[in-house]
Amino acid sequence: MQIKLTCKLSDANLDVRQSVNQRQLAIAISAVAEPSQDVPLNLCLILDHSGSMGGRPLDMVKKAATELLSKMDWRDRISVIGFDHKARVVVPNQPVDYVERIKSDIYALKAGGGTCIDDGIKLGLQEMAKGKNGTVGQAFILTDGENEHGSNERCLQFARLAVEYNITLHALGFGDYWNQDVLEQIADAGGGALAYIANPESAQREFQKLLKRAQSVGLTNAYLLLELEEGVRLAEFKPIAQVAPETVELSLSHEGNLVAVRLGDLMTDTERVVLANLYIQASAPTEGQTKPIARVQVRYDDPSTGGVNITTEPTLVSANLPQSYAPMVDPQVQTYLYALAKYRQTQIAEAKLSQGDSQGAATMLQSAAKTALQMGDRQAATVLQANATRLQQGTTLSEAERKQTRIVSKTVIVDP
Amino acid sequence: MLICPVCAHVNPIGATHCEACFSPLPIPQTQTCPNCGAVVPISAAFCGSCGFNLKAGVVAQNPDNMPIAMGISMSNSELNSESIPDLASPSAPIENDPAAISPLASPPETAKTQLQVIKAGLLHVQTNTLLELPSHLTVVHIGKPNNVIPPDLDVSGFPDSDIVSRVHADIRIEADAYYIEDTGSSNGTYINNLPLPVGNKHKLRAGDRIALGKGDKVTFIFQIL
Repeated sequence: MQIKLTCKLSDANLDVRQSVNQRQLAIAISAVAEPSQDVPLNLCLILDHSGSMGGRPLDMVKKAATELLSKMDWRDRISVIGFDHKARVVVPNQPVDYVERIKSDIYALKAGGGTCIDDGIKLGLQEMAKGKNGTVGQAFILTDGENEHGSNERCLQFARLAVEYNITLHALGFGDYWNQDVLEQIADAGGGALAYIANPESAQREFQKLLKRAQSVGLTNAYLLLELEEGVRLAEFKPIAQVAPETVELSLSHEGNLVAVRLGDLMTDTERVVLANLYIQASAPTEGQTKPIARVQVRYDDPSTGGVNITTEPTLVSANLPQSYAPMVDPQVQTYLYALAKYRQTQIAEAKLSQGDSQGAATMLQSAAKTALQMGDRQAATVLQANATRLQQGTTLSEAERKQTRIVSKTVIVDP
Repeated sequence: MLICPVCAHVNPIGATHCEACFSPLPIPQTQTCPNCGAVVPISAAFCGSCGFNLKAGVVAQNPDNMPIAMGISMSNSELNSESIPDLASPSAPIENDPAAISPLASPPETAKTQLQVIKAGLLHVQTNTLLELPSHLTVVHIGKPNNVIPPDLDVSGFPDSDIVSRVHADIRIEADAYYIEDTGSSNGTYINNLPLPVGNKHKLRAGDRIALGKGDKVTFIFQIL
């Protein structure tokens, strides 16, 4: 598999008259598919079957889970973990060949007990370890409630551990009473997506969407490596974030003079877009009239060949130094900026809301709604504006509205 | 250092988008006055230091023009900055001609007095009383005493004034033109026996017949004195 890497600056022209120019560097990375090298999937479903899931919710989840099997390849591996206040293996790690037996095991799940997410993740990781060779490890964690019998900190530790094992965790919140902060953290730390199943009927659609994404993973354990040129520095506050397919704040580490950011899986059909906030000192025009900004590299594992830590050739990004400055704004990078602004503004609104400042939160949500409109995300704009109006009227947001807010701020929902 | 107006995050110099919420930051844009070199905001019409007319690009000769110009532009929110050059038109010949830049030139004197001499009034038809429009106002409110917008022209003393609303109509003075508009009266305003729709401005000419309310009962003739 190959890597497709494109780098764009928010404005490729620098203003020489200003000592410091702020620019955003958007780096879009995807894997290039080669049909002969399809990598089998090592999928683990970690399902909540606590008492609150009883009845229709659990039935729909079981149905959605069994439906997934029919979409999987015979070389793929599956394991299913069920958890209430403790976890147990429902389907041990095995290839998807005895589909009927796996289905009957899943249908045997019964609702009851409390919720302990961390034990579920732990057992899931153990089960997945049995089939990790030559596969892409993906886990779906579905829960409908607070992690009342476990510790959220332990969940995050397992999520980070999963990343070390090169396993991606996707989190699915079911209904309205899950903790959006904990699940988002698990998904972000686990390098996966956060999905919201608002009603039992949409369980199947969300499962299918995530499976499609898991199946399109071509390369794993990818890191973005940035080498900044002289006179270029990263912003001090939250300098690097992922803006597509969902918005995630990325943490960076330094490797010598390189800045490394973990991206996780690279998909063949969807680009991962990372936005880096840079400050560039524009010196007087040089002979070539361009200024080197950064060298961009990607380091990844290729499960189809078993290669690890493959590093691409560095791509040089440079900016123009025109004599008289005129902005050359890239409209696509502008959209990425709006996506990050929408997420950050909603986050600030939620922080204000938790401090009890509902008027401040309403103003912030309104800004976020405006940003969503600017990027053409009408659905998010509608949700955010409706919530802002509710806060202004002095009512509080329901749990469902809070989940919706989080999801629309993090992603752009495309209607099927 | 730039503080984000949306989220109050403190950004370093050179930032164009807030580091925290990524809202575009309002960069204070300035221009230098071509006349004296002072740094003034980009939206300024006149240099705050030397009075240079930044929009027209020439030195404003008559300092007396400025207070008038600014007084109107500030008190009348409808008047946008584009109409300021129009205002200066009585003295335009001198402004546009650099050769005439001389404090001794007499034309500015006449131009100035001409501007202030224009006065207008309303002749009440039924009682043949002349009401002068207050010359210091740019908006003259016509109506009867009330707590919201006190009238500058009180018509409550005239016969049949019960058909006039307390807040009935405004006469606006823009440059040297007079406009009348109905401010949402109950019985309407009629210009030369035709109703004036709410929201429409009618440019008054000498001799125009203004009726407040229906039936031509409280009627004025607009006059330039």
